[in-house]
Amino acid sequence: MNESQHLSSQFDEDLSRLRTHVLQMGGLVETQVSAAIEAYATGEIASVKTIVETDRKVNELEKAIDDDCAHIIAKRQPTASDLRLVLGISKIVTDLERAGDEAKKIAKGVRRIYEGGHLPGQYGVGVRHLAEAALAMIRQALDAFARLDTPQAANVIKADTDVDVEFKSIIRQLITHMMEDPRTITTSIDIISIARAIERIGDHAKNVSEQVVYIVEGRDIRHTKEKAQ
Amino acid sequence: MLSQIIRALLLALLSSLIALPVGFFVAHWAGWSVFCAGLALQMVFHFRNFARLDRWSHRPVVDASLEGEGAWDGIFGRLYRHEKDLRAGIADRDNQIERLFAALQALTDGVVALDLNQQIVYCNTTAEEQLGLALTTDRGQPVVNLVRQPEFVAYLEGGDFERPLTLRSERGTDRVLSIHVVPYAGDRRLLQIKDVTQTVRLDRMRRDFVANVSHELRTPLTVLAGFLETLQEIDLDRADQHRYLDLMAEQSKRMESIVQDLLTLSSIESAPPPSVDIVDMSSLVDKLRRDAEALSGGRHNIVAEADAQCDLRGSEPELVSAFANLVANAVRYTPAGGTVRITWKAMAQGAEFAVEDTGIGIEAKHIPRLTERFYRVDRGRSRDAGGTGLGLAIVKHSLNRHQAQLEIRSTPGVGSRFAAKFPAGRVAKVQ
Repeated sequence: MNESQHLSSQFDEDLSRLRTHVLQMGGLVETQVSAAIEAYATGEIASVKTIVETDRKVNELEKAIDDDCAHIIAKRQPTASDLRLVLGISKIVTDLERAGDEAKKIAKGVRRIYEGGHLPGQYGVGVRHLAEAALAMIRQALDAFARLDTPQAANVIKADTDVDVEFKSIIRQLITHMMEDPRTITTSIDIISIARAIERIGDHAKNVSEQVVYIVEGRDIRHTKEKAQ
Repeated sequence: MLSQIIRALLLALLSSLIALPVGFFVAHWAGWSVFCAGLALQMVFHFRNFARLDRWSHRPVVDASLEGEGAWDGIFGRLYRHEKDLRAGIADRDNQIERLFAALQALTDGVVALDLNQQIVYCNTTAEEQLGLALTTDRGQPVVNLVRQPEFVAYLEGGDFERPLTLRSERGTDRVLSIHVVPYAGDRRLLQIKDVTQTVRLDRMRRDFVANVSHELRTPLTVLAGFLETLQEIDLDRADQHRYLDLMAEQSKRMESIVQDLLTLSSIESAPPPSVDIVDMSSLVDKLRRDAEALSGGRHNIVAEADAQCDLRGSEPELVSAFANLVANAVRYTPAGGTVRITWKAMAQGAEFAVEDTGIGIEAKHIPRLTERFYRVDRGRSRDAGGTGLGLAIVKHSLNRHQAQLEIRSTPGVGSRFAAKFPAGRVAKVQ
């Protein structure tokens, strides 16, 4: 009796540490994304190098957390909600890592634009707005995961539609712009790739939220029209 | 306890005393029955009290319902008192804790108490707002799960709390927080969070100010020195000399106006509170309109409307210079053919002086910094137009001294509106 209680509380501790690690990785990704956006807004390409270097840390964290998940499954054979937590986490870290990659892409795009001496100009505002929405999504998705808060997760899933709509309108604007003045094509293509990366970050935040719903309620709402409530 | 046993034995003896003659004279079974009945009565009595205690123990309430009979009464009484004391003690402690929490709530700094595992035990509303926490849902959550910025995590894990951590708040608002970790109750930690946005801003303003003053004064000085050198070394004809001297005079006038503005600013800052003399607003607005027309030279459409029902209390020279500054800005930054509207009218609370133009407008990001000294949206243009970069700083200070708020609204390409809102105490009704 004592022995098993001891084991189970240590198991709880393992799970809670795992969660904290995931959130730490999430925090790093949040910072990466906001630093990339900051670089886009201010044109300070010195920070691009830091972002690219920090991305390695994100990748290492993904591997370490995946390893921990495998260990927990092998050693503890979790069931029910514990198992869902571990499975969910192993998917969440994949999405977080990809969001980190997108941040790196943004940073590199920023370097291309500013090194070429072109300024994002009038598209600065639209893209920044899009980026802030995506950043808020990822923040809220991580909060929802920390608090296992499904209504919050549902909000994030809803917000993804807005980000998609906004992304499309930016693309439309840029296309018109390119047709009017072909000299802007190089910059516009870079801006499109940045906007696309931001939109993908929103998608990853949505995926994280879907995993939160799965962890809490055991319902798999990916690729369905089912509402998260 | 002993007396209870003796009493029980006596009662048993009593029933046997009744039972013995009955068994002897009537029948054996009758005697036994009487004896059993005696014992049974005793049991019923005890069982009733036991049932009462049983019922109460399921849901202990402190009221008079807990009353026993006979020997039970003492036990019930003690239990009742014990329960009552316990409850009073708990209520007292609850009160104390509540007052303590109220004191923590009242702090203007954010406070987060952590336990040994860095989990949130308590935080006040200031901290909730600063860090985006919610005590009701986040109690027991490791704080790094919610405040995830790597700098913060590293600081908390590093264990070196000599210096506070300066953290840029990530939650929407652009605020700067200074986080101090204080150990309490052994190894537990308390986060003390100060909002230093304003301090950081002031620091930057001070740094900028010194750099700006030197820069602003050096530019005309360089020009002056250049011309002086030319005049000393090269023999020029009279006409050229005159031209150079004119340019030099212009630059020295420029320096003078910067120094003059700086002096005005510092004298406003250190001057005693403005008087409460009544300023005739109708004639003031009219004067402003004439000045604006002179400055515009007929290129703009100047409209002035003054509410004759109220006047303003304050120092006339200060107000005139502040209002004239706003009007001059409007004329300067409005292309020819535009409209400048000067209005003075009573509001529900106080009154408002406003200058509205159809000029080039100001981007939203510049508006909060417009009244900083030497802050310029477009350096070149403002200097060409003869500005010192101190005008709006002086306006803001003068208005603040009259308890007025400067409200700036602007849309690039459409126009701007600068409004000074005066509180009711500064407004005088015209009889």
